[in-house]
Amino acid sequence: MLLIQANPISDALNSSEWVFPIAECLHIAAFAWSIGLIAVVDFRLLGVGVQHSSPSQLAKATAPWTLLGLAVVLLSGPVLFLSDPRMYLYNPSFRFKMLALVVAIIYNYTIHRKVAYSDSSGTAARALVGVVSLDQRRLRRPVYRVRLSSGRIQ
Amino acid sequence: MIFDFFQWLQSTDLMTFIRESGLTYPVIMSTHLTCIAIFGGLIVITDLRLLGWAMTDRSIADVVNGLRWWKRLGFVIMVTMGIMLAGSKATEYYPNPYFWTKLSFLALVLIHALIFRPLVYNRPQELDATPAIPTRAKAAGALSLILWTGVLCAGRLIGYWEPPQKKNPVAASQVRELVLVR
Repeated sequence: MLLIQANPISDALNSSEWVFPIAECLHIAAFAWSIGLIAVVDFRLLGVGVQHSSPSQLAKATAPWTLLGLAVVLLSGPVLFLSDPRMYLYNPSFRFKMLALVVAIIYNYTIHRKVAYSDSSGTAARALVGVVSLDQRRLRRPVYRVRLSSGRIQ
Repeated sequence: MIFDFFQWLQSTDLMTFIRESGLTYPVIMSTHLTCIAIFGGLIVITDLRLLGWAMTDRSIADVVNGLRWWKRLGFVIMVTMGIMLAGSKATEYYPNPYFWTKLSFLALVLIHALIFRPLVYNRPQELDATPAIPTRAKAAGALSLILWTGVLCAGRLIGYWEPPQKKNPVAASQVRELVLVR
């Protein structure tokens, strides 16, 4: 609860008008990077995209890069959050985003990983996992609406 | 001339609807960002393959050809959404330097495509035939990463720019004086 109070971290982050924009650019570039690489595997599970590679080959080849992107997302995210913790904590869409994010990460490293790594899985199972994974991205959309209403975007 | 066009664009029925409806604008923006997340990754993986940093056990032809049409589809959706976002507030975007920076980066992306399509993307089989990845392929991958990062950052910074009169301290103090006089 300490975070809700005015704190030195927020002050430091808000002392320069460039910290937030730069952190946000990093955040977006990294989520494009990591989510997009997961999408490549999703597309393959759905039977489209890089046809000559099996899902497990694609998943293994992209895994370290996906993790790198995710690491940058998870490092830059708190910087954005800490610039104004009160606004984010009381924002229902932010809470929804955090829930969706946790579910998405758990899903990606359990069910998604298991199905992608086992090339022997049936087509139906693969397709289902691919669709669910792609669909989680839609769940995250309202987050942007949040930031919109908080005046960050336009 | 350009400003006249922007003014006309913004006043069309479609753009007026997008601007005035409460939910349409955020939904378009979310779709724009979702496309960035999904199709941005397709660009990244292609570039990393051209650089020889990832997916090296797969042929360049496999990666380039397999993702090509998906990247095109994503690009079309992304640009359509982008035009609607900027078009509905065209006169606000007109003075914004980051908007023009973003368009400049997109122009460079176009030039990149004109140069490297015949050299790299249209004949990936030739790249696989050589023992090491040719410099032109690595250059195409590296430049693509840099240019798209530029597009992305300039795009995000559009939202942070304010027209000068809003943060001009002189104007603010004048307003304060006016209030005091009253």
